[in-house]
Amino acid sequence: MPDRLIELRVNGESHRVRVEDRTTLADALRDECHLTGTHLACEHGVCGACTVIVDGDAVRSCLMFAVQAVGSEVTTIEGITPGDGSLSPVQEAFREAHGLQCGFCTPGFVVSLTAYLDEHPDPTDDDLRDALSGNLCRCTGYQGIVKAARLAVDAMKVDAMNAGAA
Amino acid sequence: MKPAAFELHAPEAVDDVVALLAEHGDEVKVLAGGQSLVPMLALRLTRFEHLVDVNRVPALAGVEAHGGELRIGATTRHRAVEQSDEVARAVPLLARATANVGHFQIRNRGTLGGAVAHADPAAEQPAVAVALDAVMEIASRGSTREVPAGDFFQGTWTTALEPHELLTAVRFPVWSGRCGAAVEEVARRAGDFALVGAVCAIALGDGGVERAAIALFGVGDTPVRASEAEAVLTQGGDAAEAAARAVDTIDPIDDLHASAAYRTKVAGVVVRRAIERAKEEATGA
Amino acid sequence: MTTAARFVGQSVRRKEDPRLLAGQGRYADDVSLPGMLHVAFLRSHVAAGTIRSIDTSAAAALPGVRAVYTAADMNDVSGPIHASAGGAPPFGPPLLLLAADDVRFVGDPIAMVVATSRYIAEDACDLIDVDIEPTDAVATVEAALADGAPLVHPELGTNALAQLAMPDPELQEILDNAAHVVTRTFAMARTTNVPMEGRGIVATYDEYGGELRVWPSTQSPGELKAFASRVTGVGEHQVRIEFGDVGGGFGQKMYPTREEAGVVLAAKLLRAPVKWIEDRRENLIAANQARHDVATLTMAVDAEGHFQALVFDLIEGVGSYPPGGGTAAGGMLVMLMMTGPYRIAKTGFSCTTVFTNTCGKAPFRGPWAIETIAREQMVDEVAREIGMDPIELRRRNVIHQSDLPYAMTSGMLYDIVTPEETLEQAVEILDRDAFRAEQATARADGRLLGVGVSGSIEPSAVGMGPYATEQAIVRIDVSGKVEVLMGTGSHGHSLETTIPQVVAEHLGCDIDDVVLRQGGDAPYGPGTGGSRSAVIAGGAAQTAATTLREKIVSVAAHLLEAAPEDLEVADSRVSVRGTPSRALTFAELAGTAYLNAAMMPPGLEAGLEASSRFSPPSPFTWSNATHVCTCEVDPETGVVTLLRYIVSEDCGVMINPMVVEGQIAGGVAQGIGGALYEEMAYDDDGNPLATTFLDYLIPTASEVPVLEYGHVETPSNSLGGYKGMGEGGAIVSPAAVANAVNDALALVGAHVAQFPITPTRVLDAIEVAASRT
Repeated sequence: MPDRLIELRVNGESHRVRVEDRTTLADALRDECHLTGTHLACEHGVCGACTVIVDGDAVRSCLMFAVQAVGSEVTTIEGITPGDGSLSPVQEAFREAHGLQCGFCTPGFVVSLTAYLDEHPDPTDDDLRDALSGNLCRCTGYQGIVKAARLAVDAMKVDAMNAGAA
Repeated sequence: MKPAAFELHAPEAVDDVVALLAEHGDEVKVLAGGQSLVPMLALRLTRFEHLVDVNRVPALAGVEAHGGELRIGATTRHRAVEQSDEVARAVPLLARATANVGHFQIRNRGTLGGAVAHADPAAEQPAVAVALDAVMEIASRGSTREVPAGDFFQGTWTTALEPHELLTAVRFPVWSGRCGAAVEEVARRAGDFALVGAVCAIALGDGGVERAAIALFGVGDTPVRASEAEAVLTQGGDAAEAAARAVDTIDPIDDLHASAAYRTKVAGVVVRRAIERAKEEATGA
Repeated sequence: MTTAARFVGQSVRRKEDPRLLAGQGRYADDVSLPGMLHVAFLRSHVAAGTIRSIDTSAAAALPGVRAVYTAADMNDVSGPIHASAGGAPPFGPPLLLLAADDVRFVGDPIAMVVATSRYIAEDACDLIDVDIEPTDAVATVEAALADGAPLVHPELGTNALAQLAMPDPELQEILDNAAHVVTRTFAMARTTNVPMEGRGIVATYDEYGGELRVWPSTQSPGELKAFASRVTGVGEHQVRIEFGDVGGGFGQKMYPTREEAGVVLAAKLLRAPVKWIEDRRENLIAANQARHDVATLTMAVDAEGHFQALVFDLIEGVGSYPPGGGTAAGGMLVMLMMTGPYRIAKTGFSCTTVFTNTCGKAPFRGPWAIETIAREQMVDEVAREIGMDPIELRRRNVIHQSDLPYAMTSGMLYDIVTPEETLEQAVEILDRDAFRAEQATARADGRLLGVGVSGSIEPSAVGMGPYATEQAIVRIDVSGKVEVLMGTGSHGHSLETTIPQVVAEHLGCDIDDVVLRQGGDAPYGPGTGGSRSAVIAGGAAQTAATTLREKIVSVAAHLLEAAPEDLEVADSRVSVRGTPSRALTFAELAGTAYLNAAMMPPGLEAGLEASSRFSPPSPFTWSNATHVCTCEVDPETGVVTLLRYIVSEDCGVMINPMVVEGQIAGGVAQGIGGALYEEMAYDDDGNPLATTFLDYLIPTASEVPVLEYGHVETPSNSLGGYKGMGEGGAIVSPAAVANAVNDALALVGAHVAQFPITPTRVLDAIEVAASRT
């Protein structure tokens, strides 16, 4: 079985890891980089729990092989989290709006929505539902998630205005 | 749910890709966006000794206008097609159909060429290619050829591509004048593969519909061109008449999500609605 | 000695959220131990057959493979597989860890590979040469009941067990003489729980320490502990459950299963850490499934629309190996609850349990839901039959406060319920007259709108048998902080927030100072399920906290030389009322209680800890709800779009309204899934057809409308006034959706009675109606 030593750039850091060609990016992130916030819930690209950002775009990490990510910048939920005990605006909104229960799908939602809002700062409610519909949740009935998305948009607008005023 | 072992090759030139394809024969598969192939590998529904990753071949990606055609490289991602001003202007039907593919995370990675070469009968872009008489550019070691979309799709997940061949680009004719385009589909949930769908482009002249392009998807093992329905429109018939003609020729299947009878019936509905919307847009153009 | 309500009743933000949002939760698959091995199961690809031979030699020889187990290696060691709480199932043959001589459903585990990675374990499964001679299978209830049908379990001599027949001679008289008698059949499709995290487990055994450590994905750490002990022979006192985060369950993780037995046993046999993480295909075909009921109801109604009698004949498909043997669906609960929120004086009931060559049936959020799903559709059918608005018909029959206490025909007594109040509240939120006007306007444009109502009473917090108790140990540590140990298994239920709310409230401290610990050193509990945690775990936490506060006050009274009744407790501080400077903090009191015991009041034990094992006062604590749904049906495509969804709920005192609404929403979405999208379908040969998320369709954000909530808050007679409500959302919603669709379809004379209500079924119904006219 061919395996090789590769370098992955994840959350701004380099990881030298040994993988087989068939090792998915998701498995490499979890097992080799020890970043277990990226979850696997279907491994066939439907549920969105494993979503990460590769070179700016949200993608399913179960549908990429680790070797394909060489040379790319990967951002996971750990990279979105500020790391000082605080939460990002999207994470904060999920907490405020009860956008999670068991939490298993949550990193995928947070990563997807973070990437989406980066490109679409002023979405309509329908846009948000459409953007969220690529991630599955079985606990919340999406009520808190849709609410959180709206809260996050509003909070980020305020932040942007404040940044502009400063 | 882990794929069986393979060796992954990541060449940077088309020549190297086709050389690898020639070398490994039936044991090799091209890996583009991977949004359909990787799930099949993970489920071990299929396996290959070698994968040729074409994502690192710059020459395969990009959109360029060529005379009356728009040439889209095979590894151009759905997202790039969907967001391209050039595509929206020149081939609006493709832009709109692409926006209906899966979810945005899938469109960020999936490619036009991958979707076309995968040839899922419920997919949108193969239907657009068939409706608009797109041309497939194909390379193999030492040669290239072109195949009209109408001859390209041969069955479920089956195309005119030989194992040693690579789809390099798809060329779409550009329509001008008072045009309209519409995609209508019915799916169980948002983002699912269509139970049945239709794409339609209309160009209006002084005497009414001058040109029409219609294809159905999800109604057979390939996209189905509705030529007779197009003729009904250009001869002055209305949308309902054209829709009735379109469903005459289809022979859909039963599956878990819809019956054949359902697909037949609703095929007429989506064709009619697509025509009406395309016409409405053309009228306002 | 009172404190104002500061935590109970507040939508306190969840304590568990920051770690889960940061990706720092610890689920089973996040556990990585040195030398850990990975498991994959080889499963049957046929629904019924005889195993002729198994050759594992090529698999065993693959580099990286540590063991390949078959029935011969495992079954005698583990013994039959069953949950500990209920004992061995009463019906059916013993369930063996791995299929031995034959297979009985697609997905039946035949061999277990243990290897250095999951990739290699799956490679090895491909190399196992198993020869199965297929035999005829029965995939549907109808096929299983047919004359001469192949037997799922030849040991039983039949595919059908008749149970719970309840004959009543007076019933026939009512049916013979009633002004209206309506009979209808309703079918609920087989669905499955689909927690986003499938099953999973990591186990390791230290033969010198004698300890078996288990990192599970379970709803019930206490159950798993007893189970792992029984399967492995390791004493229960030496099994340690390292309970972490659990990615949902909805009933599927209530009872440990064959695969989990295999993992704990392999860890002991190999003396190495062993991990099995169920993949999605396994979860869909081989974790337990649910629903799959056919109910035929007959209702007798007088000329004014008063319900006189209800006969409920249930056929439940239970697959091959239901964990409870025969009554996995809660046939008993269907019988108890069949009259729901209405006055119905006479009832008849029968239940036939049918085995098929499919995956076994297990609990799923309201396992008895068919009583509501069928009855609430039946009410609408009766309303149409007698020409009365379904809301009016419900008003005529719903239980009023003046009817209480009300004894159902089953003998169970409703004491504190408010079905009329939730019905009226939900209808008011809807504004029925405005909707009917909108419906008429839309109809004139060729559009079909509909409204559906559904109501139910939920038997929460079973107060009998193995589920009747829960224990809380509340401990103030040396620094004055509070630890709560409980046998619950929160898996999305927010217990890490709501239990501390109850404890902080009744102990008199800040919620940030309280932590809930589950598994590990926690006392035994039957787990989180059955809508029991608010009532029973909440009751235990409240009792223990109150007891501990009394002790703190006694210690403080002694040290402050004050009378206990002059003291108040707040913010982790005991002070003399009116003289706030005379006070002792919890930390100071703990200092005395642990480090200076001589200063304790005479007769009081050192330390600050209290324990309570609580049991609710009633066999069930009733909650109730009414749901209202409106929808549009596209008559050309059969596509159903939900427009509004209203829930009025009475779950007594709400510990945390935000969490209550979250539980309702999750249940409603699952019910919408069951009504419109989800079906765990099999073909006639018993092959599962929905083996991926491309075919098993759970709702997305685009399919679930905005929920509108109303609350009626009537305290229960249990401590704190809490009522359980975890299952109601899923129980009540399928009929609300179906009734809305059928209200719309009634405009064109059509009707659908089979779930899920797919576009195909809608168009078929419209076509049938059109051909009649």
